[in-house]
Amino acid sequence: MTFAQAILLAILQGVSELFPVSSLGHAVLVPALLRWSIDRASPTFLAFIVVLHLGTAVALLIYYRREWYAIIRAMIGSIVRGKLSGEPSEHLGWLLVVGSVPVGILGVFLERAMRALLGAPITVAIFLTCNGFIMFLGEHLRNRQLAGGRTYKTLDEIGWREAVFVGFSQALALFPGISRSGSSIVAGLLVDLNHLQAARFAFLLATPIIGAAGLLEIPELFAPGVELTLVESIVGGILAAITAYLSVAFLERYFKTNDLRPFGWYSLAAGVACIVIFSTGVLK
Amino acid sequence: MKGLALILAVIFLVVAGSYWTGITPLGHHTKHGILFFILGVLCLVWMRFSNTETASSRR
Repeated sequence: MTFAQAILLAILQGVSELFPVSSLGHAVLVPALLRWSIDRASPTFLAFIVVLHLGTAVALLIYYRREWYAIIRAMIGSIVRGKLSGEPSEHLGWLLVVGSVPVGILGVFLERAMRALLGAPITVAIFLTCNGFIMFLGEHLRNRQLAGGRTYKTLDEIGWREAVFVGFSQALALFPGISRSGSSIVAGLLVDLNHLQAARFAFLLATPIIGAAGLLEIPELFAPGVELTLVESIVGGILAAITAYLSVAFLERYFKTNDLRPFGWYSLAAGVACIVIFSTGVLK
Repeated sequence: MKGLALILAVIFLVVAGSYWTGITPLGHHTKHGILFFILGVLCLVWMRFSNTETASSRR
């Protein structure tokens, strides 16, 4: 992996981790389209992905620092008291815990196997196309619910069943090409959150998962055969963090007035284009 | 609920220990061990909440 490739991958990771277009999908498709000879199973590549995940998690923590401070304080308070008070930050904190458990369990047991099984560019392109359909399906179902008289809820009003549902939806991202944030925003819409609240819940839910994915893989940084330089690691991590921070800031504004359809169109177009390119062997 | 939480906590912590030590057929998996340790701790938190519920309902 060259320095230029590392920089492009870092920017790609920071943006696509939070935009509902699948970071893992882009990490497979872009190198394949650019005909980079990167071994995705090599110790160096895995170590670099760890650095990028840590950068993204740090950006999310910094962006939502006030929310996390209030959540952690409220949760510790509730444990000390041994009682739930119903305070919004405490409620949100426990929803995040309940929502993180399903994807945590499935991720630990299935992630490597799924990547190995479904990580071929053509398969990823098919799942990216499916990601587009999921965005449209989510918007369609949500509009039908609203037409049927259902109203929006706030994060304070959703319960643990809804949090588990949103948490499970994140597991769809185990299929490389399906976006974690996209599937959890769609699930948030289906439990009656508006776009902004669904996106915020998805980003808060993603923080411990992305952070844990990075922290648990830290040993990869010191695995034999890793040829990652300090400069590459630092620049990659910082770039991923900056782009992730800008992405979440943009999406927080975007979802105040907009929906998932543009990301659906992008996923469909990019997915179908990649299917055509890889199946016709244009790049061989 | 308190009993169930305790039983689950013990099971999860034992499974975590066996993943870490690798002394059972489960083998040695650090990440799996961390996952089960977290689940065990969450069950202890659940037990803590159940404790207070039981105490307040007795009063």
